[in-house]
Amino acid sequence: MTGEPTMKRQLFAAALLTLPATAFADDCEMKLGAMGPMSGGAAQWGLAMNSAAELAAAEVNQEGGVKIGGKSCKVVVVPYDSKYTADGAAAGSNALAAQDIHLIIGPVGSPEATGIKPVAARNEQVAWNASYAKNALEPKFPLMFHIGPGPSGWADAVIKRAMQEFPMKSVALIAPNDQGGTDIASVDAEAYKANGITTTEEYYQRGTTNFAPIVTRILAGKPDAVDTASSPPGDAGVIVKQLRLAGFTGAIGRLGGPGTAEIVRVSGGLDVLKNFYWFETVPTEDPKVRAIDDEYRKLLGKDPIGGTAVWADLPAARMTLKAVSIAGTDDAKAVAAALRTMPVEDPNIGKGFWAGKKQFGIAQELQFPFGVGIIKDGKNLGVERQEVKPE
Amino acid sequence: MDQFVQAALIGISLGAQYALLALGFTLIFGILGVVNFSHGGFYMLGGYVAYSCVAFLGLPYPLAVLVAVAATAALGWVFELFLLERLVDDHLATLMLTLGLYLVISTGLLTVFGPLSMEFAFPVTGALHMGPIYVPRENLIVLAVCLTAIAALWLVLYRTDLGRGLRALADDRAVAMAQGLRPKLLFPLAFAIATGLAGLTGALVTPILSLSPGVGDPVLATSFLTVILGGLGSLEGAALAAFVVGIVEAFSSVYFGGSIGALVLFVLVLLLLVFRPTGLMGRTVRGA
Repeated sequence: MTGEPTMKRQLFAAALLTLPATAFADDCEMKLGAMGPMSGGAAQWGLAMNSAAELAAAEVNQEGGVKIGGKSCKVVVVPYDSKYTADGAAAGSNALAAQDIHLIIGPVGSPEATGIKPVAARNEQVAWNASYAKNALEPKFPLMFHIGPGPSGWADAVIKRAMQEFPMKSVALIAPNDQGGTDIASVDAEAYKANGITTTEEYYQRGTTNFAPIVTRILAGKPDAVDTASSPPGDAGVIVKQLRLAGFTGAIGRLGGPGTAEIVRVSGGLDVLKNFYWFETVPTEDPKVRAIDDEYRKLLGKDPIGGTAVWADLPAARMTLKAVSIAGTDDAKAVAAALRTMPVEDPNIGKGFWAGKKQFGIAQELQFPFGVGIIKDGKNLGVERQEVKPE
Repeated sequence: MDQFVQAALIGISLGAQYALLALGFTLIFGILGVVNFSHGGFYMLGGYVAYSCVAFLGLPYPLAVLVAVAATAALGWVFELFLLERLVDDHLATLMLTLGLYLVISTGLLTVFGPLSMEFAFPVTGALHMGPIYVPRENLIVLAVCLTAIAALWLVLYRTDLGRGLRALADDRAVAMAQGLRPKLLFPLAFAIATGLAGLTGALVTPILSLSPGVGDPVLATSFLTVILGGLGSLEGAALAAFVVGIVEAFSSVYFGGSIGALVLFVLVLLLLVFRPTGLMGRTVRGA
């Protein structure tokens, strides 16, 4: 008989041990939106946004959550697939607003950025777009922030490094014919021209699956190099495969969004890719940067999805949650004000700067060190770190 | 001239692939009167089944293609027999059912395989080069298989009792039933043949291009465009239109670029609908 209370105490103690180490205030939960294309050819980029938001949320929750109105609140990530379209992102802003979500990590593409800006402003939401649009930020949308600079911030450095390995006099750029393609390819083209390289631009309808006719058209111009610019990684992989099948032996570049691993996989491997140069949003060879994936696995018990883009998106998510605790609220205007006062620094990526005043007239763009990758004769030479300077 | 020949070769190759897809699509419309919005889903499924057979079961690629055809045909048969058959004369209901099936297939594949492209390569690589002209070996094999499948389908439809039965149902269901033909047996069979063709195309083409959960979307658009051009429900029209679409796409993309190339195709279909609404073959097989 005397054993029963002892057993109850033991069971109670065991139950206590299984509870999470952190304690959140009852009924206090803050939802954080994660938006981007989570299906289709650009899915990798949207899923990276979600993985970055998940990791930032897990880190904060481990420390007790965000501080809102004196309470410790658990952060819950709500993903939204905006399908790389303007209407998808606009609908996403409304859908998240309907769930009382004021802070969004994302969206990704230029069409999405164009779609979300006015709607998120009306819904009073902070949003972090990662697009390379020429108008990714505008002073009339002060709640919009930018995850990193477009090609005007790094294309020149990548081209100069590529020219050391692959001397070139002419380049053909290929990209989708919407804003997500034209905004980047045209800026890339200017950067090539500034380095004395002649350029041609070829655009295709998003959704194209067979690039053989376009490859034939490109090769008729006999370019020294072909740049896949902002083509989704799946498309870029097919383009590379069909270029090589057609007998093209020159260098292939990618002055656009991340996705080299998928390009390698779809094209058929490093031997097919052969000579390749690309921009990385962060220095991907840095062990501290790579440790982000280990941290994700440790806290979430699964692999992050999205490749190197997760690493580039993470600082925005971390800074946003930190700004919530500083502001003591998830009100978008208060969080935006707190963000503007914070130094640009990330425990894994390092120190950066607020930028964007020169290009957009509003300094709400994160600028961190980035990377330039080179594959030569089928051998991956790695990603070199490129430092940045304040504007 | 080199560019002209290259564009023609690409156009023929595209045309054969589009023909396989369009024949299945138009077969279902011609016989059942159903616009199959899940056609792209069966294309994707064919690719994923073949990929799974190669990657996880270690089957040789040709066997994997056969398994993909069997699996997509079986799913099509079951879907028609147990779901579509009950509402086959309700156009709105069949539209929703097939669209729903497409969403189930694409979301299911996304959940199981993830959003990224699979590493799925065609077993034969390289190209035959004749000066500046090139023909990928894999395209030659796919072209041969596509043409064989089209010929086999023609033989079944025009040289067998089964084909005569299917065509009789397409021409006039009431009279065909009065003659003793059984739609409950033939409809699922027709649906299975069509989805098997879509699965075959997916298993053949996705290793050449790419395999991800979004690859079915453009398939539906291309199939629709092709069968409208050929005459909705007309098998000969679909085959002819598929090669017209492939060749127009190749030439317009090579000479005018990727953006205008897509536009040329839609303008062509628009003009045809204005001046010849019944399509290239000019015969209404069934009243929709």
